[in-house]
Amino acid sequence: MTKPLRVLLVEDNEGDVEMTEHAFRDGKPACAIYVANNGVEALQFLSKQGNCSDAPTPNLILLDLNMPRMDGKQFLDCVKSDPKLKAIPVVMFTSSQSENDIRDCYERHASCYVVKPFDGKVFVETVQQVVRFWSDLGRLPED
Amino acid sequence: MKQSQTADAGHPACSAIAAAQELRPSILIVDDRKENLLATEKVLRPLQANIFKASSGNEALSLLLRHRFAVVLLDVQMPEMDGFETAMLMQEHESMRGVPIIFVTAISKEEKYASQAAEIGAVDYIFKPINSDILKSKVKVYLDLYVQREQILKLNTTLQQSNEELERFAYICSHDMQEPVRMMNSYAGLLEEKCVGSLDEKSEKYLRFIASNAKRMQKMIQDILTFSRVGREEVKIEAVDCNEIVREVLAEFEAVIASKGAMINCADLPFIATSPTLMRVLLQNLIGNALKFQDCVKPPRIEIGARAVGDAWEFSVRDNGIGIDHKFNDRIFTIFQRLHRKEEYPGTGIGLSTCRKFVRLCGGDIQFESELGIGTNFIFTIRSNNKEAA
Repeated sequence: MTKPLRVLLVEDNEGDVEMTEHAFRDGKPACAIYVANNGVEALQFLSKQGNCSDAPTPNLILLDLNMPRMDGKQFLDCVKSDPKLKAIPVVMFTSSQSENDIRDCYERHASCYVVKPFDGKVFVETVQQVVRFWSDLGRLPED
Repeated sequence: MKQSQTADAGHPACSAIAAAQELRPSILIVDDRKENLLATEKVLRPLQANIFKASSGNEALSLLLRHRFAVVLLDVQMPEMDGFETAMLMQEHESMRGVPIIFVTAISKEEKYASQAAEIGAVDYIFKPINSDILKSKVKVYLDLYVQREQILKLNTTLQQSNEELERFAYICSHDMQEPVRMMNSYAGLLEEKCVGSLDEKSEKYLRFIASNAKRMQKMIQDILTFSRVGREEVKIEAVDCNEIVREVLAEFEAVIASKGAMINCADLPFIATSPTLMRVLLQNLIGNALKFQDCVKPPRIEIGARAVGDAWEFSVRDNGIGIDHKFNDRIFTIFQRLHRKEEYPGTGIGLSTCRKFVRLCGGDIQFESELGIGTNFIFTIRSNNKEAA
């Protein structure tokens, strides 16, 4: 039995946060979800600054693109240029279907790009599938 | 250097004045004799232009480098650099090349000088003593032309800017509008699922209304996005197998084709060098419309074909549907224009306008032939540089 995944969700939309948390409420797949509302908050969490001093290091990041203060691409650059953080897989989870956004994110070393499904049920299933892939099929570096 | 008007547009303090005088054209008079300069200036003063004077070819060139002129009156006989040499130097300089030159000369009325002048950019040739009415009316023609051209250029820039702004607006609007619509749809769906069995019939119906309208809104936003992307994103040209695209499009419509019992006939289509996205948008919309606009009495019949016409390919998508009244010729290609109630034939009124915008961007065009109750034939042309791109 693998240890439950620690997932950092970087998302400013309350509705999407609720739906993502809803997806893991029954513990299948088992994971701990931590939420940051934008890139700045997420970096505080990752560097254990401010009121995040006892924050765990996540082993997967789910990242939205359009956010206030620091958007997804800027945040991705920060993570991928930080030696302590760059091994954490980042899954883009956004409503943008723009070819430019997809290319940009992979060029910035995103591990995966998933478009948020329009249908609520499919949304929930998709988030579960993504996390299940990383926890069951994908191998992640040791803590 | 003598100037009757100072219009130093480079100086910030003068920029307001310069803006006001922007459409006031400038004339350059070049003559080595001061009395000639003054006499010509006097003749031209009523024309309400800025008059600049230069007493040598060199001085004229230096003014031409710093200002834009509607016309230059150039004396032929001057010491050092004569009028012809000055004109030849002007031809070598990008910014001066288009400036109309009227040569003014006292010496020769021989034909050969006039033709020499024409070769180096002269638009006219007049002889001293100058008839002031003729000079004035000739110069006025060039001033008017200059002002008209400037106005058109300015209008063109303004139009281009507002067009770009509108497209950016449409793109951003649609992009940001997708989020709330997705939320409405998602939560209506999740609520329906959560409350299954515990809601009365009316409440379930209301929830379905929310979800179905959110879906319709989503479809519109997607279509507006596609429309606004045309022209914003670079068009990539590839070797395209049109048969393959038709196969993909027909696969998307598989369910509709089966439920309506549609018969689809597709001729052998060419390989062409074009944008695969363009071909897909066109065929998706035209085949989709051919399937949609049917009377539901007889099964749809659709024929897809192509023929080479000059250096282009002409494609046709013909159906046996309800047809289009020719009085709607222009309207059907205009964005958000629908000819039917959405309950009769659903749609956003964006598809054909996207088709036309895209095909025109790629140098082709789209039109249709139709007869009410008989059917419609949509024809579009696609340019292909190498017709048989492999």
